[in-house]
Amino acid sequence: MPHKTFFWFILPSVVAMILFIALPIASVVIQSVYVEHERVLVEVENCGPFGCSTEVRVDTEATEQLRSEQPLGRFNGLGTYLNRAHLAVEEVGTIVSTSASIGEALTRIYNLPFYKAFLFTLIYCFVVTPLGIMLGFTIALAVNTIPRLLKGPVIFFSLLPMIITPLIGSLILYWMFSSNGILGATLQTLFNDPTLTLRQSPALTWITLLVYGVWTAAPFSFVVFYAGLQTVPGDTLESAMIDGASRWERVRFVIIPHLAPLATFVGLVQLMDNFRVFEPIVGFSSEASATSLSWLVFNDLVGQDSQAFGSAAATSVITILGVVILLTPVLIRTWRDFNAKGA
Amino acid sequence: MSASVGKQPLYLKAAISGFVILWLIVAAFPFLWTVWGSFKVEADFFSRVGWWNAIVGTRTELQTGSPFTGDGYYGAWVTRDFWRAVVNTGIVTISVTAISLVLGTLGGYALARSGHKYAFWILIAALVFRAMPHITLVSGYLLPFFELNIWGHLATSIIVLVAINQPFTLWMLHSFFLSIPKDLDESAMVDGCTRFQAFRLVVIPVMWPGVITTGLFSFLLAYNDFAVTSMLLSQDNQTMVPKISSFLGSIQEQGNVMYAVAAVVSATVPLFILVLFFQRQIVSGLTAGAVKG
Amino acid sequence: MAQIRLKNVCKRWGSFVGVDNFDLEIPDREFLVLLGPSGCGKTTTMRMIAGLETVTEGEIWLGDRMVNKLEPKDRDISMVFQSYGLYPNMTVYENIRFPLRVRRIPKEEHDKRVMRAAEMVELTDFLHRRPAALSGGQRQRVALARAIVREPNAFLMDEPLSNLDAKLRVSTRAQIKNLHHTLKTTTIYVTHDQIEAMTLADRVVVMNKGVVQQVGTPTEIYDTPANTFVAGFIGSPAMNLIAGTMKDGVFSGQNISVSGFNKSIAGEVTLGFRAEDANVATEGGEISAPIYSIELLGEATMISMRVAGELVSIKAAKDFRAEIGDTISASVPAGICHLFDSKTGARIEQD
Ligand SMILES: Nc1ncnc2c1ncn2[C@@H]1O[C@H](COP(=O)(O)OP(=O)(O)OP(=O)(O)O)[C@@H](O)[C@H]1O
Ligand SMILES: [Mg+2]
Repeated sequence: MPHKTFFWFILPSVVAMILFIALPIASVVIQSVYVEHERVLVEVENCGPFGCSTEVRVDTEATEQLRSEQPLGRFNGLGTYLNRAHLAVEEVGTIVSTSASIGEALTRIYNLPFYKAFLFTLIYCFVVTPLGIMLGFTIALAVNTIPRLLKGPVIFFSLLPMIITPLIGSLILYWMFSSNGILGATLQTLFNDPTLTLRQSPALTWITLLVYGVWTAAPFSFVVFYAGLQTVPGDTLESAMIDGASRWERVRFVIIPHLAPLATFVGLVQLMDNFRVFEPIVGFSSEASATSLSWLVFNDLVGQDSQAFGSAAATSVITILGVVILLTPVLIRTWRDFNAKGA
Repeated sequence: MSASVGKQPLYLKAAISGFVILWLIVAAFPFLWTVWGSFKVEADFFSRVGWWNAIVGTRTELQTGSPFTGDGYYGAWVTRDFWRAVVNTGIVTISVTAISLVLGTLGGYALARSGHKYAFWILIAALVFRAMPHITLVSGYLLPFFELNIWGHLATSIIVLVAINQPFTLWMLHSFFLSIPKDLDESAMVDGCTRFQAFRLVVIPVMWPGVITTGLFSFLLAYNDFAVTSMLLSQDNQTMVPKISSFLGSIQEQGNVMYAVAAVVSATVPLFILVLFFQRQIVSGLTAGAVKG
Repeated sequence: MAQIRLKNVCKRWGSFVGVDNFDLEIPDREFLVLLGPSGCGKTTTMRMIAGLETVTEGEIWLGDRMVNKLEPKDRDISMVFQSYGLYPNMTVYENIRFPLRVRRIPKEEHDKRVMRAAEMVELTDFLHRRPAALSGGQRQRVALARAIVREPNAFLMDEPLSNLDAKLRVSTRAQIKNLHHTLKTTTIYVTHDQIEAMTLADRVVVMNKGVVQQVGTPTEIYDTPANTFVAGFIGSPAMNLIAGTMKDGVFSGQNISVSGFNKSIAGEVTLGFRAEDANVATEGGEISAPIYSIELLGEATMISMRVAGELVSIKAAKDFRAEIGDTISASVPAGICHLFDSKTGARIEQD
């Protein structure tokens, strides 16, 4: 296809992506090195019947004017990145030097908002992804052996947790797990502990969030693996049987190797999707016990009286870096494949 | 694993059936429970006494005189103007799907047919863009949008969602176009078509399955979005998902959480219908990506 | 209708050479066949003429127009693809009409022309079917009809018969030959089947690795191959090629000695002869070797022997009988032999 034709075909798409994906990334980077203006203060002399006194006051007008003239705020360099709400370099330094044990240091670091969110994001990512894949694979194996007539309905119901709006899905589970909901109440009876509620137990919150994650992630793996199972070469499977492989050995030596490339694909997609976990935090109102990087950005942006653009931007940049790090293995591999093909 | 693989021993059969049934309960029960509960009053759905009340509706009967009530729905749709959010969602999702498909088919076709290196790099860039958390992009939009005075409008959200959707749409349509033989458009061009005519008259008519599948996923993305619509739409223009989230704050205080439950169920119904009719396309779309990936 | 000129046409992808310095003039009304092994650049050459592939170097002329920069649609050429390239969403009728539709030919004419084209390829009974409901041969004919429905400058056909079974191939081949006779449109036909090439062509171009090896009528190519590649590619079985030395007009090698050549030729040469030109001799033939295998073909018996490290075939009468391992003698007089330079492979003229 000539360059010119290609250009016109791809133009709308590329323009859209540049304007609303590439530029915003640039915008986030720029915003992250600025911080909101401080309020303009003026000294006013108040003279009353009892003499004069000076008083410091906020000059609302001047503040407004400053804000509208320089909406970005004032330049702050890397200040936002290093402050308490983000990497908290100073605080970490103090903690490390004053803590008695590593355990104590880690606990105190964990209580810093950024590290708390970061840890949860990572754990969510690396717990939900493998569990979701394993559950999906098991379901695929099981569904593959049931009578054909039942497969359609089973797939129908299996798809629901995946296509459900994340916020709605998490609300549905949250209501069931809340202390008056069917599951929450059952858990209390089971453990005979009336204080076991989402509000009071961070552990329960974490677990329900992870359960939600696996619940929505498994169907995707299931569908992909199920489709993969349909293409397992029957000849190989039958020769394995003739060679005397047991049921488990056939799974181990024929089916799993056949599905391995799919598993890589599913793993990557899920890792990327899980890294941006955000809606469940809102849905479960779990911010007291568990937050995520995306949620931190969201929280800065919905700030009640003023939106903390600089702070949100700094967290965003760090999140984007995280995504890029997750992606590097793929990019490196693609780059190698591409060069090998070109040479 | 065809049927010829051999008969399973009975215990294995039982274990498999048990597992499938268990999974079905896990997958479907939350929905059934919520749908059922949405026709009860709060004291039943969130019963302090026991979950049995939610099934039979003891309090519901006491309060309304019948074991089922549509109060939640009435409250959400009429009192709280949920219908307006439904209309907005309709506008947003349909526009996003249509525009995404127009841009995506053009671009995906070009990427599938161009043998040049830059096509490969565009695809890789799209892959990276696809991985960007949406909320980080949103934090890039807000300030410029305020400055340009385009914040809050449906049109802005539509364009943003189209753009966010492009990387995925491009990838998916690209792989569908690759499965259509090049001979087809080349014969059309030899027969006298321009590239665009060949695309429109010959390639698109055989691409419908791919377009429908991709359209479904664009629809889902726009429908399920929370990050963009909750941050970029003004109160009046809110779509269903941000509307539900704004219900939560105000309703829980008044003890009227049933409005939210009714709204949630209302918002789930279209998804149910979608899966019911397009199950095959959704499955094929999920696997199309995997096979090429 | 027009003549086609290719002036030193090259096609390269990076450092890979697809077609190298292709230079040829194809007169109006000629049926030209491009012949060569898989991957030799036949399709590439044809696609450059159609405008589907850019030309790296050189010029392509259609009639008196230089068409390098022209879109395929502006070249007014029609093409039959190996996989037919039928539009699956249109009926046969619509498929054939499509070129007329997009070229804005007046509507009144469409029906007449479609019907005429359909009649020529005997498709009138299938006009309302879709391609998916047709057999391979019928699809093939739809593609042909679509090519002939307008009067293009030239027909390009890329292995149009390769997906058909042997019997259908013979009848469609005849049909193509007949069409060309009726329409007299310049045709370039790509194949790697030499029987197709021999039966259809006015002239044959033999290609290898992107380079033209020989251009000539089928008889010329068969009788005087320009080099060992053409010699080894044309004919069934291919020409026997034996390496040896030439001294004082005598070619000799292991198990073989042929005399009577021009004395001016000397040194290392390759000797070639065709199985059907040689004969089994009772005694004192030029070749004397044990039989390696013997195959009864029906109309003849094919014997192979090991000569100078090569398997050499000789066609004997159909009632010839012998056992594997029997030593026999074959007569290969200098008159039926071709000589090639053993280094370059080029033909050495004997007179
Ligand atoms: N787009 C391309 N990029 C790089 N190399 C190519 C491209 N298209 C074709 N080639 C190479 O050019 C050479 C000639 O290809 P071509 O299709 O012309 O062969 P052919 O003679 O038609 O073979 P066949 O009989 O198998 O159809 C092949 O080695 C092929 O691999
Ligand atoms: Mg070819």
